[in-house]
Amino acid sequence: MATFDVAALRQEFAGRTALALDALSVREGARLAVVGPNGAGKSTLLRLLAFVDTPSAGVIALDGHRVDSASARRAARQRVTLVEQRPYLFRGTVLGNVAYGLRARGVRASEAAERAGAALARLRLREFAGRDTRALSEGEIQRVAVARALALEPVALLLDEPVSGADRAAHHALFEALAAEQARRPLTIVFASHLLEDAYRWADELLALHQGRASPVTPENLFRVDLPGGAPMQTVTVGPLALEVVTDRQGPATLAIPPDEIVLSTEALHSSARNVLRGRVVRVAEHGAAMRVTLDAGIELVALITRKSFEEMGLTVGSTAFASFKSVAVRVF
Amino acid sequence: MSTPGGEVVGIALLSLKIALAATVLACLLGIPLGFFLGWTRFAGRRVLLALLNTALALPTVVIGLLIYLLLARRGPLGALGMLYTWQAIVVAEVVLALPIATALSAAAIQAVDPRVRRTALTLGAGTLRTAWTVAREARFTLLAGVVVAFGRVLSEVGAALMVGGNVRHETRTLTTAITLATSQGEFGLAVALGLVLLALALTVSVVIQLLQGHGDV
Repeated sequence: MATFDVAALRQEFAGRTALALDALSVREGARLAVVGPNGAGKSTLLRLLAFVDTPSAGVIALDGHRVDSASARRAARQRVTLVEQRPYLFRGTVLGNVAYGLRARGVRASEAAERAGAALARLRLREFAGRDTRALSEGEIQRVAVARALALEPVALLLDEPVSGADRAAHHALFEALAAEQARRPLTIVFASHLLEDAYRWADELLALHQGRASPVTPENLFRVDLPGGAPMQTVTVGPLALEVVTDRQGPATLAIPPDEIVLSTEALHSSARNVLRGRVVRVAEHGAAMRVTLDAGIELVALITRKSFEEMGLTVGSTAFASFKSVAVRVF
Repeated sequence: MSTPGGEVVGIALLSLKIALAATVLACLLGIPLGFFLGWTRFAGRRVLLALLNTALALPTVVIGLLIYLLLARRGPLGALGMLYTWQAIVVAEVVLALPIATALSAAAIQAVDPRVRRTALTLGAGTLRTAWTVAREARFTLLAGVVVAFGRVLSEVGAALMVGGNVRHETRTLTTAITLATSQGEFGLAVALGLVLLALALTVSVVIQLLQGHGDV
């Protein structure tokens, strides 16, 4: 059973298409990561799935029922909730905030306080219950907002950039709490992130958005370029670099270099690969049995290599490495 | 003119009574109206807001004249016999304070973070609870507007003089008493009454400060 079924969904703002999604199905209990750069349409999608905004066209079904009227949206908002990128906590206490949605559902004050306290405890925030919301840090506000959403026991929880700060421990604690919640009861989670590490680590499904549309590739190594045209083999400027690509197209386009098409080496390769870039390793992350290595070569490139290769090359953050990829490996769309 | 202390107290109390009554009535009408203007989007809303802002600068003597003509014996509401009563001053002050209460409430609601409404909706609140939540978040700014309206009617003199008539023991307020004392050369009394008015105005200002300090508005 799918929690969400989306068909021909469009959202326009002042004549500009912010989102155009032909189809999307999110199964019950899924952990779907919506990834993409800023402005890709992630927040727009989440607000539509939260039934806070009305789509310009298309329909969303929740648990198989079409939600296509104001009253249906109002009813659906009782079952789905959204934690925004910069959550807002109402004036007053943390407990008052976490109990808010329960009170809106007609739950008695004493029971609402009890359930709110339990939700806070699940996010290890019990001691925050009596605090004034204006005395909280940004990270604490985010956690309280998640507790406030979980207190409602929604069928689907939507999280827009749930951890925007650099606090890795907070990332971990939050996703652990969400996993524990999913183990406790059926819960579908959709979260938007511009950090692919989060998506790969925590999601079991991935939706990549690019300029409001589902993208066939993940938004790594995506570059907006202006193709000179003229010949199938073209040299395009990407930041300070010149890359060779094979395409008949001309004019504005997006290049995608799949991370698994990039070969990393400690010395420049003499091979058939037309593009060889020298750079410095800036980030390394585990990705299952593989390693995701981010190289700063004037532009940031993510390469996916096996752990064995990574160890054999002795790469660390700061090492110099060469990225090689064939011009035909560069996708143009 | 010799005014014993008891009379000054009487004048001060009457001034307070009129100011409080006018503020309460103006806010009962103005806050919901301001909420509506700040909350909803409809054609002509900007024009209404512009008119409202113009009404803020309406000269009090014009309001006084308007109410005088309405309440005068031969006026449309002459049968009520309200002219030269403290209630007539209240009516004029309500007309004066209404644009203030409305405009400041509209501004307070418009200034509320748009996330408040969305957050209430995502948490499953209905329209009424969402509106109530927005008003609650704006409560300190709304209260500041109430206090500004109160200060305005307390210090008003033109309309009070025209429709109240400055009748001793009946419609003489602090401001009209000061006007009279000054015109009669009783500067000592005028200054004393002025100090009472200043003390009241200072109290109003302190209340605003306290509200702002408490609410970070």
